[in-house]
Amino acid sequence: MNKILFLLIIFSTISFSQESNSAKSLNLFSPQNIKKFADYLFCQHDYIRASIEYEDFLKSGYNDTAAFKVGMANLEMGNFSIASKKFSNISKISVFYNISKLEYLRANFRTGNFNYYRNLYESENLNRDYKYFFEARELYNFSYLFSDITLPQKKNFLSSFTKEEQPRLNQFYDWKINPPYKNPVTAALLSTVIPGLGKIYTQNYSDGIFAFITVGLLGYLAYSDFHANHNFRGWLFSALGAGFYGGNIYGSAASAQIYNAKISFQFFNDLKNYLEDHNYFVPLINFCK
Amino acid sequence: MENKFNALIFSLLIIFLFPFAIFAQSENSKWGKADYSYQMPDKFEHRDYNFKEKNPGRFILKSFLNAYWYFISDVDGDNCSFDPTCSHFFLLSVKETNIVQGSLMFFDRFTRDMDIFGKINRYPFSSNGHYYDPPSLYMLKKDSIKYIPPSIIVKNE
Repeated sequence: MNKILFLLIIFSTISFSQESNSAKSLNLFSPQNIKKFADYLFCQHDYIRASIEYEDFLKSGYNDTAAFKVGMANLEMGNFSIASKKFSNISKISVFYNISKLEYLRANFRTGNFNYYRNLYESENLNRDYKYFFEARELYNFSYLFSDITLPQKKNFLSSFTKEEQPRLNQFYDWKINPPYKNPVTAALLSTVIPGLGKIYTQNYSDGIFAFITVGLLGYLAYSDFHANHNFRGWLFSALGAGFYGGNIYGSAASAQIYNAKISFQFFNDLKNYLEDHNYFVPLINFCK
Repeated sequence: MENKFNALIFSLLIIFLFPFAIFAQSENSKWGKADYSYQMPDKFEHRDYNFKEKNPGRFILKSFLNAYWYFISDVDGDNCSFDPTCSHFFLLSVKETNIVQGSLMFFDRFTRDMDIFGKINRYPFSSNGHYYDPPSLYMLKKDSIKYIPPSIIVKNE
C-alpha cells in the first residue's frame, strides 16, 4: 500500500511539474501583453493607468488604435489640451483619422473657451466631403448657446439638427433669446408698494409672507404705542419697522438677482446634460465589446 | 545558596512589580479614554473678539457685536440656522459695503431667518450643518453672485 502511495506521489509530481522553458517564455512585459493590459484597464475605466500603459506600448512602435485610445483616456479624465494634441497627431492614413478630427473639436469645445473653439472650427474649413460634417456642425451650432455672441436665425440654427433633436433645441434657443429673468427694479418696487410682494415675485413665497407679517406687526405696534402716548416705544417700533421695510425692498432686488443666477445655472446645467446624453454629437465607438 | 535564590526571586519580583505599579492604568484614566467627544466644536470658540477696527463706525459696531456675542449669543448657544450667523453676516456686510447697505442686508437676512418653511429648498448646506448664505450674494453685484444649488454641501472654514 505504501509503495503504491509513494509511486502515485512521485508520478503526479513528475507529470504535473511546470516546465522551466514555458515559464521563461511568458514575458508579461512584451508589447502585446502591455497592450492587452492597457485594453483591460481602458475597459475598466481606469484611464490614468491605461494611458500610461498605452504610452509604454507606443514606444515599441506606432499604433493608431492605441494612440486614439490615449486621446480618449485623456478626454475622459478631463485633460482636454493633452487629448486635443493626441487626436491632432493621428495619421491621415489611419481609420481613426475622421473621428479623431471630431474628437479634436470636442476636446477643444470642452475646454470651455468657446471663442477659441469657434475659430478653430472655422479654420478647419470642413465641407460635406468630410464624413462627420453634420455632427461637427451640430456641435458648432450648439456652442452658440454657451457664448454671448448673437445667435443666427432660428431656422438656420435648427436646420443643422435632426428632427428628433429640434424640439429641445428650439426650447434652448427660445431661452437664450428671451431668458425668464426677473427684474430687480420691479421686485424692489413691488416690495415698496406691499412689503414682501417683491419676494413673492421672485418665487420666495414664504419669505414674502414673513416680511409682510413682520413689517405689518411692527407698523401696528408703532401706531398703537403712539396712539396710547407711549412715544419711546412708538419710535422704537417705527425704527425697527422702517429697517425691516427697507431691508425687504433691498432684499427683493437681491432676491431677483439670485433668481436670475439660478435660472442661468439651470440653463447651462441642462445644456451640459443634453450634450452628455448625446455624447457631444460624436458617434460612439465601443472598444469593450 | 538558598539565600542567593531568595534574593534572585525577590529582585525579579521587584523588577516586574515595580513597573506594573508605576504604569498601571488607574480606573479613571482607563475609562476616561472612552469619553472622546465627537460633538462639533461650538462656533463661538473660533470667534474673533478683537477691537482692531480703525474705522470709528465699525469700531462701535464691533464693540456692540462683541458684547452681544459675549453676553448673549455664546450663552444662548449655537442657534442661528445660517452660516455665517446673522451677527457675523452683519459685520461682514458692513465690511464689504458700508453701514447703510450692510444694515439693509442684515434686516433682509433677519427676515429670511424668521422664515421657517422655505430654507431647505433654497440654501446649500455648510459643512457645519447650517445653511450656507454668504453676504457676497446680496451685494447687488452680479459678478459676486455664485449660485450654489441646495443639494450641495459647501466646505466652509
